[in-house]
Amino acid sequence: MAEKFKNKVFILGASTTKFGELWSRSPRDLAKECVFQALEESGLELSDVEAIYVGNMLSGSLGGQDHLGAFFAEELGISVPAMKIEGACASGGLAMHAGFTAITSGLYKNVLVVGVEKMTDYKPEEVAKALMGAGADSEREAGATFPSLYAMIARSHMEKYGTTEKDMAEVAVKNHYHASLNSHAQFPHPITLEQVLKSSTVSSPLKLLDCSPITDGAAAVVLSQESGVRSQESVNIIASAVATDTLGLAERKDLTTLKSAVDAAKKAYQMAKVAAQDIDVAEVHDCFTIAEIIAMEDLGFFPKGKAASAIREGKTRLGGRPVVNTSGGLKACGHPVGATGVKQIVEIYRQLRGIAGKKQVKGAKLGLTHNVGGSGATAVIHILKSL
Amino acid sequence: MISPVKIWRNQKKIQKLLGLEAKIVSFTRVHVPPVGFISQAPYVIIVAEFNSGRRYTAQLVDWEEHHLKIGQKVISVLRKTRDPSEEGVIPYGVKFRPIG
Repeated sequence: MAEKFKNKVFILGASTTKFGELWSRSPRDLAKECVFQALEESGLELSDVEAIYVGNMLSGSLGGQDHLGAFFAEELGISVPAMKIEGACASGGLAMHAGFTAITSGLYKNVLVVGVEKMTDYKPEEVAKALMGAGADSEREAGATFPSLYAMIARSHMEKYGTTEKDMAEVAVKNHYHASLNSHAQFPHPITLEQVLKSSTVSSPLKLLDCSPITDGAAAVVLSQESGVRSQESVNIIASAVATDTLGLAERKDLTTLKSAVDAAKKAYQMAKVAAQDIDVAEVHDCFTIAEIIAMEDLGFFPKGKAASAIREGKTRLGGRPVVNTSGGLKACGHPVGATGVKQIVEIYRQLRGIAGKKQVKGAKLGLTHNVGGSGATAVIHILKSL
Repeated sequence: MISPVKIWRNQKKIQKLLGLEAKIVSFTRVHVPPVGFISQAPYVIIVAEFNSGRRYTAQLVDWEEHHLKIGQKVISVLRKTRDPSEEGVIPYGVKFRPIG
């Protein structure tokens, strides 16, 4: 499939803001900060940007702003094609996919992808309701929340494979350890298994420290047809694949896997002509700890039912392989929903350039991102390679 | 606001789903609810499979601790769902209660 592309896709610059409860910062501030940092790194001028793709989920339902493309073009002071791309928590990944297709088609030479979300201005129950915009009608009518949907996925995985609450807690402990090495993370500090297991129940069996937080943040990536300033150390996106599945859990036969992620991963591996075993480093969608266990299996990193023991043995921690969620993941770096898919690309890009600081995976050449919308209705997989 | 038109339209679908036996496929107890469900928390949500093989997500009502298990038999019933809006439209929908 890859040889059909008209152009290669180079990442010239990438940046994220600090993630967290950023009450003094507006969506405009956040987007502008990371866009100008990414542009500076890229060696391009603002006038070189030919289109803007904005990944965002909740600007309409929470912020009352439903015209984000023009909103950010205005803020940046350019009048280029600009649009919001939405797909729940996969909005950022889908915006990357839109940018990828724009470059590979030859339509634009340089594009900007921005993911942004402002969540902490609102009450948690309002955010929970807005996030359920990604679910099925019957789920909203039942009073379901995303923790409750993933809790039912967890319960099925526990029943079928013997996964335990302690296994899930291990994911949170690992990702908080990685976040402790990331100054931009919302929770840059380690936690213990006991703290996770003793935290209050959100939706049984998921506890507070099994869940990713409500977060403000933004991330930006500059994509180009040409290697530009990165000619000596270029990072390419060699695959961008999307798959969809039913909105609701009830329409699926197996709750222990996300079929969309399996399908998108298969397409991405084919496009990149690589296998799961070739991946050195990955950022995966650990919106809840069970989601990372299932992601490891859906991506083919470990056989079905074997991921929990691999995580417990430290195989996906710094020093193991593949190292998973060096940023701290959604769990500890934070989850500004529309920004997450773009932040994952920023982290892998930095890993492949060898500029990831204390959390650097030595010799990383091939990386993957796994971004999921809803309870698995959308999955977006990207594969990045350093040349 | 809860749209009365949407409620009227969906009522036709609800009627066909009532009085049917099903089994619990998975369940959870929600302690942190969204807007519209705060007065009901904590409550139990299940994915249930009808004898036809079709599955449905809804709340479980009238339950005791021993009912919270995969495979538990349930039956679909009509109950009030969300807290009504100020306009007074009271939404009804499908819930399950344990049997046997």
